Amino acid sequence: MKRRSIAALLLVTVVAAAVAATTSGATKKANASSITVWLQTDAQSGWADLVASVNQKFQSDHPGTTVNVQYQSWGDHLQKFDATLAGGGGPDVIEMGNTEMTKYMAAGAFADLSSAKGSFDNSANWLKGLAASGVYKNKTYGVPYYAGSRVVTYRSDLFKKAGISKLPTSTAAYAADAQKLMAKSGKKGFSPVYIAGTDWYFAMGFVFDYGGGIAAQISGKWKGLLTTPKSIAGLTAYKNFFATASRASKTTDESHPNPYDVYAQGQAASMIGPSWYTCCVGAKYKGSTSQFVMPGHVAGTSMPGFLGGSDLAVPITSNNKALATDWLKDFTSTSSEKTLQAKGNIPNATNLLGNSINERAASRSWFVPTAKHWVDVENGNILRNMLAQILTGKLSVKQAAQSASDNIASVLNQP
Amino acid sequence: MSEGTSTATAAGTFPLTSRRRRRLWGRVAVPYALIAPVVITIALILGYPLYYLVRLSLQQYGLFELIRHKGIGVGLANYRSVLHDQIFWHTLVRTIVFTAANVVLTMVLGLLVALLLVRVSRPVRLLLSSSLVLVWSMPVVVAVQVWYWMTNFENGVVNYVLTQLHLGSFEQHDWYASTFSQLSMVTLLIVWGALPFVAITLYAALAQVPNDLLEAASVDGAGAWMKFRDITLPILRPILLILTSLSIIWDFGVFTQPYLLIGQSKVTPGNFLMSIYLFEEGYFKSDYGRGAAISLLMLAIVGVLSIVYVRRMVRIGVET
Repeated sequence: MKRRSIAALLLVTVVAAAVAATTSGATKKANASSITVWLQTDAQSGWADLVASVNQKFQSDHPGTTVNVQYQSWGDHLQKFDATLAGGGGPDVIEMGNTEMTKYMAAGAFADLSSAKGSFDNSANWLKGLAASGVYKNKTYGVPYYAGSRVVTYRSDLFKKAGISKLPTSTAAYAADAQKLMAKSGKKGFSPVYIAGTDWYFAMGFVFDYGGGIAAQISGKWKGLLTTPKSIAGLTAYKNFFATASRASKTTDESHPNPYDVYAQGQAASMIGPSWYTCCVGAKYKGSTSQFVMPGHVAGTSMPGFLGGSDLAVPITSNNKALATDWLKDFTSTSSEKTLQAKGNIPNATNLLGNSINERAASRSWFVPTAKHWVDVENGNILRNMLAQILTGKLSVKQAAQSASDNIASVLNQP
Repeated sequence: MSEGTSTATAAGTFPLTSRRRRRLWGRVAVPYALIAPVVITIALILGYPLYYLVRLSLQQYGLFELIRHKGIGVGLANYRSVLHDQIFWHTLVRTIVFTAANVVLTMVLGLLVALLLVRVSRPVRLLLSSSLVLVWSMPVVVAVQVWYWMTNFENGVVNYVLTQLHLGSFEQHDWYASTFSQLSMVTLLIVWGALPFVAITLYAALAQVPNDLLEAASVDGAGAWMKFRDITLPILRPILLILTSLSIIWDFGVFTQPYLLIGQSKVTPGNFLMSIYLFEEGYFKSDYGRGAAISLLMLAIVGVLSIVYVRRMVRIGVET
């Protein structure tokens, strides 16, 4: 009897589950006009309110449509995206780093937005470099979302306490200030300038500041430039600056831990990173936090900063390309871009540019080689590995640069 | 069926009644019928993907082909390119050494813990086995995160404790600075995680060792080591073989622990394990054909590595 009742219960459960499955399938079908948007977690921690208000507007303009925002991380979003290209169920809008676009455009992963381009706010004035990252063979696949340079976020109270009356105007002056800050603090593990050892976005700034480079295309073939005397000088300067200013791990990247977490714990007097890092410095230090442009080695100049940025694209697999494009228009409208700007980002068009520290830092910037296989150099951690080798002293600057330079050339020259 | 019966009768042999026939038929068919669902399920779940993997390994299948759902046949080119890749051979050697270290540590420590479990008092045994079960029940990703925190550069508890114990200055010691150190951390994590299964299984197997045999040996003057070597170990052998071959298979292809603990941004050809090499080549470079070739090569290598054990296992099965 007991066994039979268990069996009956099991049967009921199975039937109920089957019914539930069919009904949920039915609701999904009825709600065909929903779009899925993949944004990076930067939006989640920095401007989730903007995302919410854009979605609200979009949904009131398109009744019955839902927007499903899924936040992704830079480390694995491309692998997830590849899986959806093969198996379906992917996003209708995806945020791509500007260095990631070329490989996917070349493979035909995105819908051509050229005809819709004119209907985007400020599309005639899109930031040149950022817009170029979304163009392949004269067709527009990527809509510029925002750009960002890297700035120094610092604690004015600690600078004052260490007797620094004037912000540093050269790398050497900043290093000297770092020593003062260190002497004043004396805390274990305290960094006057928190720099994650393998933060290549920052480190390559030194290379470009000394006139070096990463790679260049010479008569159709890529050649590594890290071994040139100027690049070596830049890498050596980075090594010395790190040794003086940072007590961070020499082998870690800039998200393990997040520099702003170290800062919020009171373990850093300043840190290098996107200007929106002010979001997360903690209530305790919010009032005393300010920013300046990283100075270059020549007094009075700024150090070239990596011009990072994101594009938004509509995957070729999307079933709602028109809706997705409409959402893109709202998300990159003048008012959205102004909100992004207020959060410390660089807006996507020249007519919106202001005079913030971030925008000033962008005036002297560098970008990665625009090669189809560049993303493989990034994912292969070639530059990070080189920096770890240099900082830990495992290899000399020259040896590490040589091996990285050869590696980069061979990756970029793949067919 | 009746035809067969008549032939048999005609031949003048002992006549097979239809009842006996049916029983014979049943004896042959029933086991097949019983195993059929398993075989069919395995064929569907493993067979098709395996077929697809082999097909993929013979194709050029990158991002371009992925979007069009159509690869280009290239014969054995993927295998050739992998076998000519120096990184593949370096990775293979590193992975074999890594696997050997993990398996030996797991088996030796597991056996020691199992022997301990037999000897300790009831409450201690309860405590020990429940903590083993707790370790076992911890999801891998959570375990990795805990280990990551414990060995953290800035404020990990390992550095703190080692410094407090005056074992040297571990203030801001970077446990992930060199390949050896990275892989040692991964080994610690894997062995820690694998210990419960091995220890509890061996503890169960130890219950099979007849006590009177051990007592008789003691009476005859055998020492602890001798009893272990000549009585306990032979009885445990089949179980040890199964556990060792399973450990080899698991540790050779382990991915989650090394990938998450070392971290994506520190993964380089200098510290690749096979599974990570496969992941980087296949997924990061979006070269799925080459990835498929690597995974089939891995399968073959694991097969070769564990063949000795599997053969011995089969032999033991035949003997008993």
